[in-house]
Amino acid sequence: MTAVENEKSTVTVTLNGVEIEANPGELLIDAAERHGTYIPRFCYHSRMKSVGMCRMCLVEVDSGRGPALQPSCMIPVGEGMTVDTESEATKKAQDGVLEFLLINHPLDCPVCDKGGECPLQDQTVAFGPGESRFVEEKRHYEKPIPISDTVYLDRERCILCDRCTRFADDVAGDTLIHFMDRGNSTQVNTFPDEPFASYFSGNTVQICPVGALTAKPYRFKARPWDLEETISTAWIDSVGSRVTIQSSRNQVLRLLGVDADSVNWGWLSDKERFGFEALNSEDRLTAPMVRVDGRLEATGWAPALAAATDALRDVDPARIGVIGGARLTNESQYAWTKLAKGVLGTDNVDAQLGDGLPVEAVLGLPRATINQACTPGRTVILVGPDPKEDLGALFLRLRHAVVNDGTTLIELTPTRTGLSTIAAHSLHPKPGEVDLLAAALVDAVSGDAHDAAGVPANAIAAAAASISGPVTVVLGRASVAESAAVTVDAAIALSQLEGVGFLSALRRGNVHGALDMGMAPGLLPGRVPLRAGCDAFDQVPTEVGMDTIAMLEAAASGDLDVLVLLGSDPLSDVPDADLAERGLAGAGTVIAVEMLPNASTLTHADLVLPAAAPTEVDGTFTNLEGRVSVAEQKVTPPGTARADWMIAAELALRLGADLGVESPESIRAEIAVVSPVHAKLTETALADGRVEGVLISGSSIEAPTASGSTTPANDAYSLRLVAARRMYDNGTMLQASASSAGLAASVKVTLNPTDFEKLGLDAGTVVKVISGRGELMAPLAADFGVPAGSAMIPTNAPGSNVNTLIDASASVTDVRVERA
Amino acid sequence: MADGSYLKGFGVTFKKLFEDRVTGDYRGGKGLEKGKPDEKRPKADRLHGRHVLNRYEDGMEKCIGCELCAGVCPAKCIYVRGADNNPEAPTSPGERFGYVYEINYLRCIHCDLCVEACPTQAITESKLFEFSFTNRSDAIYTKNELLVGDDGKPQQLPWEDWRDGEDTMTSGWMRATSPAGDHRYEGVVHWAGELGYGLRDPETGQSAEANDDEGARPAASSVEHG
Ligand code: SF4
Ligand code: SF4
Ligand code: SF4
Ligand code: FES
Repeated sequence: MTAVENEKSTVTVTLNGVEIEANPGELLIDAAERHGTYIPRFCYHSRMKSVGMCRMCLVEVDSGRGPALQPSCMIPVGEGMTVDTESEATKKAQDGVLEFLLINHPLDCPVCDKGGECPLQDQTVAFGPGESRFVEEKRHYEKPIPISDTVYLDRERCILCDRCTRFADDVAGDTLIHFMDRGNSTQVNTFPDEPFASYFSGNTVQICPVGALTAKPYRFKARPWDLEETISTAWIDSVGSRVTIQSSRNQVLRLLGVDADSVNWGWLSDKERFGFEALNSEDRLTAPMVRVDGRLEATGWAPALAAATDALRDVDPARIGVIGGARLTNESQYAWTKLAKGVLGTDNVDAQLGDGLPVEAVLGLPRATINQACTPGRTVILVGPDPKEDLGALFLRLRHAVVNDGTTLIELTPTRTGLSTIAAHSLHPKPGEVDLLAAALVDAVSGDAHDAAGVPANAIAAAAASISGPVTVVLGRASVAESAAVTVDAAIALSQLEGVGFLSALRRGNVHGALDMGMAPGLLPGRVPLRAGCDAFDQVPTEVGMDTIAMLEAAASGDLDVLVLLGSDPLSDVPDADLAERGLAGAGTVIAVEMLPNASTLTHADLVLPAAAPTEVDGTFTNLEGRVSVAEQKVTPPGTARADWMIAAELALRLGADLGVESPESIRAEIAVVSPVHAKLTETALADGRVEGVLISGSSIEAPTASGSTTPANDAYSLRLVAARRMYDNGTMLQASASSAGLAASVKVTLNPTDFEKLGLDAGTVVKVISGRGELMAPLAADFGVPAGSAMIPTNAPGSNVNTLIDASASVTDVRVERA
Repeated sequence: MADGSYLKGFGVTFKKLFEDRVTGDYRGGKGLEKGKPDEKRPKADRLHGRHVLNRYEDGMEKCIGCELCAGVCPAKCIYVRGADNNPEAPTSPGERFGYVYEINYLRCIHCDLCVEACPTQAITESKLFEFSFTNRSDAIYTKNELLVGDDGKPQQLPWEDWRDGEDTMTSGWMRATSPAGDHRYEGVVHWAGELGYGLRDPETGQSAEANDDEGARPAASSVEHG
């Protein structure tokens, strides 16, 4: 090879007589498709390794030794290759492969969910034999068997393409479905008594090229030709996964993942995929409600808005509070901020419920994108929740990066996570001491390794030594039983690492949009502090207001006259349940703006205004990177429910102010003017970024400063509490989703088995867990992934809520575990 | 037009004005007043009237809720939704049944494409077409109204004008291929078995060629009927 050839960056291939330029190493099937020649396929999937199972992609390839049939999904392009995708031999091969595939195929297209969008149907029509010669009996299996709560498997229809099994093994890491038996009886199945209980099972339904895997929420609901679709953004968590929303007859019936290269690669967690069921739920609020004699009764908008305005008029702004807003679109969030800060004049606005991070930790540190975190050769340090439980699609991206691209993962988490098995180093600090561990890790990088937070020096040194390339810190609250200050201090320590970027792991839907739109104390739209002012607002509060915890404390002592719950449920979600209860009870008028009634609404709201769901409004969402992507209205809201921004505008009007908002577009235009960072968010940019979104960067928020708080040592008899979120919990949205509600595991207390002996208890025993705040009863479970000395209890689990144990003002929560 | 040929057309209209009206013999019609019998003209074998939803001999519904009829309908007048059969008490054989089935007769153009599309011969058209509605919801036939009774016969709805026997040959099904998928039937019209009224003989093809080939075809009674 000459030097000139070495430098050549493309490979020339002759495809059907035309010379094309392909990228070196590119698969033939991809190169052909990029140049407009679609080679039929079943098993090949661009986001998974090729396996060459189905042979549908056979084409005639001549690499110098004469033409031969080769699977184009398995061979990379080579210089001088000649490919014929239309030759007699290719056609005969395609015809033959399809005839073989159909031999054992039941052809129950009329009752098959895939019928009408089925690659097997389509490719048979396009490339297959016109008639069947097969007259023998086909193989038979029991028609669909449920392999999990949401997925059905019809083995007769399976063409053994290995997509689902590859997804489960390679992408999700949940090795729960496999091929079994041999020859004619080969079938996909689960292990006996082990269901396909994966958080990501819905992806297999989407990628199955036939109707072998079907999803319960969509099963038999419609045929593809009934569906209308629009591209949108998943709202369940903050990854901002791109989806298509499909509906029929004004009802959302299915969500499919869209392959956005910078976000979710087409994958979705089941919670994102099936979460739409909650929006179709019977329980949706369809009319405003007002509390009469202790009961909520339906009323009209006019009296409801009048009551709300009466409550808000002439109230000292310091005595008004707004909690929540992460559910809203950016546009609605802006309208509500404008109402609260610009019209009412209160800075007591907080979209987080005391379970998140201070604004400075999210907006004041250099940020990283998912793609930056997943760049080969880099390092990811996880200081936060288990991404598998909280941010499903991010978990899949991180997992792929670590397994396939050599990204180094170092975990600084209180317990084992879904990524621990592939992490280079899993260091589990004592709860409340991750800041010390982070500082020790930074020290170790500069050669000074020492013990910290119960982790030995050599483990820290080894982790420090494995750091390569720029570091991305995935930052969030690993446990709501420890104060946010600990996480912030850890972030400050890690920010000394070279080239560090932070990827926020706050989980709530559009919480990052809420921060960008100023829904936090001391903040205004555009990532600017209060003192920067805002020209579009009539007034701007001068004093920095209260956060959720402070608002609830004020309310509890009778210092809050109006509390607006903007799609929030403090009783379930504020880490300190006792405080939430006292706060809601003590607040003057509680106004809830909600899609579905939750515990707080039902017990404490005096006035409930029904809000439209994300599939029912136009707008945009901002994901954890700061990426803005569109959410499009697909269906109309139930009853008289309306978009949150309309409610804000109505209230303002009745209070004698005009928000000047007419439509989501007009609000976006105003945001682009008001916010120094959103200037590039034009309608054109949004249209160009229909799939990938528009990344918003820059911030005027200063970096956080160290809290200086220290965590007290616990006594020998108590365990330190870790309260972490699980994918499926008692949350209002999940419980309103018919097929997922039952997936929430009931509460249990997980300890390291070595602690069992100390306590004289066994797994399964029902114990009483006592803290300074309260107590709960739950059975014990054993897990070596929970370090000795810690007790793990999931948040908001059915049974009892761990937040009854937590005191929001303490930095950690120590508990005693006793036989009940 | 200058030759006045259009007058010929008016001539037809003029002549018809003085003929007996076909509709005159209906119940309540003018013919009855003149003492004519309450009788309708016989209808052509292939007349496309309103639909029926058929059942199998065991009473199970044939419709599997596949929506193919709705998909093919050029007038978009069929609304179908499927649902899971209750395995304990299935409505139709197999996994899926037609849970919602509606045809809007204000839109239906009786093209019979739905009948052609149906994989189970569930939907067929009867020869019943004489109905007049006084409100829109009557014109939308629901599944309960379209379904044949246990005896396989259509239900007479209050706004339909029927004479005895007019509901025969309703579940007759025809399309250009045989129900058994036998290629020898290609291009030949064939009638399926009728639960209520028994078998109808196949028509004798539409072209001489097909007739020539008849000997090669199995007799109607030897063809399996779904
Ligand atoms: S997977 Fe379903 S739709 Fe596709 S060919 Fe098979 S039965 Fe028909
Ligand atoms: S179930 Fe579907 S995805 Fe899995 S191997 Fe069979 S055909 Fe492929
Ligand atoms: S009538 Fe036939 S085509 Fe229509 S839904 Fe029922 S089975 Fe399918
Ligand atoms: S797509 Fe290449 S072998 Fe299946």
